[in-house]
Amino acid sequence: MGVVTARDPQASNASSQRAGPRTAAPQSGFAPWKNPSLSPIVRFEGITKRFDDFVAVNDVTLDIYEKEFFALLGPSGCGKSTLLRMLAGFERPTQGKTIVAGQDITDLPPYQRPVNMMFQSYALFPHMTVEGNIGFGLRQEGMPKNLIAERVDEAMGMLELRQFAKRKPNQLSGGQQQRVALARAIAKKPRIVLLDEPLGALDKKLRQQAQFELMRIQETTGTTFIIVTHDQEEAMTVASRIAVMEKGVLVQVATPGDIYENPKTRYIAGFIGDVNVFEGTVSAIGDGCIEISAKDGYQFKTRSSEPVSVGQQVWLALRPEKIRIAHEQPASAVNAIPGKVEDIGYLGSISHYHVRTAPGERITALRANAAHTVERPISWEDGVWLDWPVDAGVVLTG
Amino acid sequence: MNKNFSWFNLTSITFGFAFLYIPILLLVIFSFNESKLVTVWAGWSTKWYSALLENQALKDAAWVTIRVGLVSATVSTVLGTLAAITLVRMGRFPGRTLFSGMIFAPLVMPEVIIGLSLLLLFVAMGFDRGFWTITMAHITFTMCYAAVVVQARLQDFDKSVEEAAMDLGATPINTFFQVTLPIIAPSVISAWLLSFTLSLDDLVISSFATGPGATTLPMKIYSQVRLGVTPEINAISTILIGIVTIGLLLAAYVTKRQTERSERERRKAFGAAG
Amino acid sequence: MSAKANGLGRWYVIAAPYLWLLIFFLIPFFIVFKLSLSDVATAIPPYTPTFSWSEGIGKFISQLDFENYTFIFGDPLYVNAYLSSVKIAAISTVLTLLVAYPMAYGMARAPKSWQPTLMMLVILPFWTSFLIRIYAWIAILKPEGFLTMFLMKLGIISEPLQIMNTTTAVYIGIVYSYLPFMILPLYASLEKINPALLEAAQDLGSRPWRAFWQITFPLSLPGVFAGCLLVFIPAVGEFVIPDLLGGSDTLMIGKTLWNEFFNNRDWPLASAVAVILLLVLTIPIVLFQRQQQIERESGR
Repeated sequence: MGVVTARDPQASNASSQRAGPRTAAPQSGFAPWKNPSLSPIVRFEGITKRFDDFVAVNDVTLDIYEKEFFALLGPSGCGKSTLLRMLAGFERPTQGKTIVAGQDITDLPPYQRPVNMMFQSYALFPHMTVEGNIGFGLRQEGMPKNLIAERVDEAMGMLELRQFAKRKPNQLSGGQQQRVALARAIAKKPRIVLLDEPLGALDKKLRQQAQFELMRIQETTGTTFIIVTHDQEEAMTVASRIAVMEKGVLVQVATPGDIYENPKTRYIAGFIGDVNVFEGTVSAIGDGCIEISAKDGYQFKTRSSEPVSVGQQVWLALRPEKIRIAHEQPASAVNAIPGKVEDIGYLGSISHYHVRTAPGERITALRANAAHTVERPISWEDGVWLDWPVDAGVVLTG
Repeated sequence: MNKNFSWFNLTSITFGFAFLYIPILLLVIFSFNESKLVTVWAGWSTKWYSALLENQALKDAAWVTIRVGLVSATVSTVLGTLAAITLVRMGRFPGRTLFSGMIFAPLVMPEVIIGLSLLLLFVAMGFDRGFWTITMAHITFTMCYAAVVVQARLQDFDKSVEEAAMDLGATPINTFFQVTLPIIAPSVISAWLLSFTLSLDDLVISSFATGPGATTLPMKIYSQVRLGVTPEINAISTILIGIVTIGLLLAAYVTKRQTERSERERRKAFGAAG
Repeated sequence: MSAKANGLGRWYVIAAPYLWLLIFFLIPFFIVFKLSLSDVATAIPPYTPTFSWSEGIGKFISQLDFENYTFIFGDPLYVNAYLSSVKIAAISTVLTLLVAYPMAYGMARAPKSWQPTLMMLVILPFWTSFLIRIYAWIAILKPEGFLTMFLMKLGIISEPLQIMNTTTAVYIGIVYSYLPFMILPLYASLEKINPALLEAAQDLGSRPWRAFWQITFPLSLPGVFAGCLLVFIPAVGEFVIPDLLGGSDTLMIGKTLWNEFFNNRDWPLASAVAVILLLVLTIPIVLFQRQQQIERESGR
C-alpha cells in the first residue's frame, strides 16, 4: 500500500507545516512526566467501560501531571469522551480506579469532584445571565455574595466578558458562548479543567484564536487542562502531551513532536499529518541502519530504533516534507525513486506534489515555494526524482 | 440518554397510569357482570349488551350521534385545515390576532358559555333546533382542535418543498393538492378522528344546541347516569370505549405500516445507489 | 400565475374559517351580552324585548337595563358560586400539577424508545368519552363503591368512605379528567431540556435535588404555565363534574348557569351569569393566548 492520508486534508496540511518544528514550543522545558519524584494529579488505573456488549474504554492506564495541557485524541467513538466523562463522574467505570491527587474518586458523584468541565454543547443555563452562569458553581459552595461577585468578575475579565455580564446565553455569539462556558469552568478554580471538544462548534478562524486563548488561560491559571478532541491540529497546537486512542485502547502517549516524528503505528502516522507508507520486509541489518525490500521492488536503507529481525514485515513511513523532489537524478542519494508528477496542490508558501511511480504508487512530496527558484519550476506530467536520507523515515512494525 | 428507567421514574409512571386506567378497566369489567349491582361480582354475562339491543331510544340516539359526528368532523377538518394554513402560511393580514384568538379561545372556553351563546344565536336567527344546529355547534368547537393538530404538522415541514413545486410551475392550488396535502395527510386524518370523537363525546354544547326530537347518546347516558350506576350504562360505555380503542389502534397500525414501508423503500433506494 | 389571482386565492382560504368563527363564535357573545340586559318573559323565546323593525331601534334599546347584574351582585348565592368556582378550579389545578409533574418527568427521562408509547397511553383516555370517565368514578367513590370495599378489605377503614357528592369528589374528577392537558405541555418542556445542563450543574457542585430546583424546574416553567391555564380555565366553568360527583354544597358557576337556563328557564339571567364568568376568565384566557403565540413564534 502506498499513501495514507488523514481524513481532513485541509487540516493535516496545516498541521504538517506547524507541527514539524515543535521542539521550539514554549513547554519544551516542561516535562513532569520525566520526573520520577513527581506523582501525577490524575491516574487512571486499568479503566474499562462497557456499555452492554460494547467496550468503549479498554483497560486504560494513564498518568497526567499537574499543569499539563493534556489532549485525548482520536476519531469519534474511540472512547476519549467516555474516559473524560468518567473523570468528571458522569459515567462509572466497569473496572479500574480513578485517582485524583492521591485520592480514589471512582465512587464520588460529579458534584463532589475537584474537576470542572467545559461541555461540547457549552451547556449554558439558558435562564441565567452570563454572570449567573459563571457564578453558579460558586453559589453551590455557599460562598459569601461579595466574594462570588469578585471571582465572577475576575473570570469575566480574563475572558473579556464584562460587557456581556447581564446578557442571556441566547443573546451571545458562538464565540462569546464558548468563552462563557470556559469562564464558568474555571471560576471555581478547580484543580483540573476538562474540555470536551470545546471548540468543535466554532469556524476555523475563530477556532485558532480560541486555541491560543485556551493556552493563555491554562498558563495564567496554572490549572491542569485535559482536552478531548478529534482534531489533530488542535491537539498538536495546544497540548503538552497527547494520548492517541483507537477503539477504546491507548495507542501512544507522547509529546506532539514525538508523535509526529516517531509515530508508533501506521494508524497514528496516518492520523496525524500526511504520510507515505511503504510495505516491505527487512532484508539486512547493518550498523544502525536496516535495509528494506519494499513490496513493489524498491530497496530502501533507513535508520531504525525499533528492534527488528531479518525477514520481518515492516512499514516505512515518510513525511512528505522529508522527501526531496527534483528534475535530475540525485548523484549520491541512498534512496531514490523516479516518477511522474500527477497533481500539484499549491498552498501559498508550500506546494504538494503527488507523484506516480512506475509500479503505480502515489507518493506525496512537499516543497517550499522560495521566491527565487534557480531550478525551473516543476510542472504537471514532468518526470521527477524523489529522494530521502537514511534518517528521514520511521520504521513501523504494527 | 438513559437506557433504563430509574426507580423514581418507573414508580411515578406506574402510579400515574394506574390512576388513569383503573377506573376505565373497572367499568369495562363490570359491564360483563351477571348481577345488577355494579360493584359486586357475580359471574360473567353479556345480558346487558343484549338488553341494549332492544332499547330503541338508545339506538336512535346512537344513530343521531354518529350522523352528527360524521358530518361535523368532515366539515370541521376542512375548515380546520384552512385555518391552520392561514395561521402558518399566510403571514400577516388584517385581523390576524383576532383570528388566532378565535382559534385558541374555544380550546379553553367553558362549554356552558359556548353552548349558551350558540343557542342564543340559533334562536336569534330563527333556526329550527335539532340535528343541524347540533352539527353546526360541533363544527365550531371541533374545528379549533383540528386547526391546532394540522398547524403543528404544517409548522414542522419545510416550506421550500412548496416553493420548489411552485418554482416548477404548479399553481398554489395544485401545489396544495399534490405536495402539501400528501405531506400533512396523517395530521389531517388525526384531526378528523379527534373531531369525530369530540363530537361523539360532547354533552354540554349539544344539550344547549338541540331541540325536540334530536337526542344524542351522551345526553341519553347523562339522563340515566343521574339516576345512578347501572350495568347497562357500563355496557354502552364499554362499546364506545371499544370503538375508540379499535379506531386508534387501527390508526396507529396504519401509520406504523406506512412509516415502515417508506423506511424499506428508502433503504432499497440507498442500497441500489450504493 | 399572476400576483392578483394569488392574492385572491389567499383570501378565499382565509375567509372560510374566519367567517365561520365570526358568525358562530364571536357574534354569539354579543347576543349573549344583549340578552343579559333583557328581562325574562313567559313567551317563546322566553325573554323581552324582542327586536322588531316596526317599533324601531330606539324603543328596543330603551327597554334594556342592568337589572340582572344588580341582581347577581346582590345575591350572595351567585357571588359565592363565582368565588367557590375559582377556588375549586385553583385547588384542582395545583393538585393536577402535583400528580402530573412526576409523571411527565418520568416520561421525559424514560428510554427514548419508550416515549412514543407512553405519550400514546397518556392521550388514549382523552379520546374516550369524558362523561363515561366521570361516570366510572361514581362506582369507585360511592359509599358501597370499589374504593370503600378495597380499603375495608385491607382493614384500613371500618366505615364506608363519604367522598361521593362532596367537593373532594369534584377535585378527584377534575384531576382525573384534565390530567392529560397538564402532562402534555409539561412533558414537551421537560423533554426539550438538554441533559448536559444537569450534568453541568452537577459538575459545578450542585446536588441532584438542588439541580432539579435550579435548572429543571425553572426551565419547565413554560410547560407548568401552559398546563395550569389549560386546566384552570375550563375547570372554572365545569358543569358535568360538579353535577355528577359534587354534592348540594358544591357551588360551581357552570352548574348555576345550567340550572338558571334549563330549570328556571331564565335566559337573561343565565346570559348575565355567562358574561360575568367570561369577564372573570378574560385575564387567564388572554395569558393563554399570549403563551400560545410565543410558543408558535419560537417553534418556527
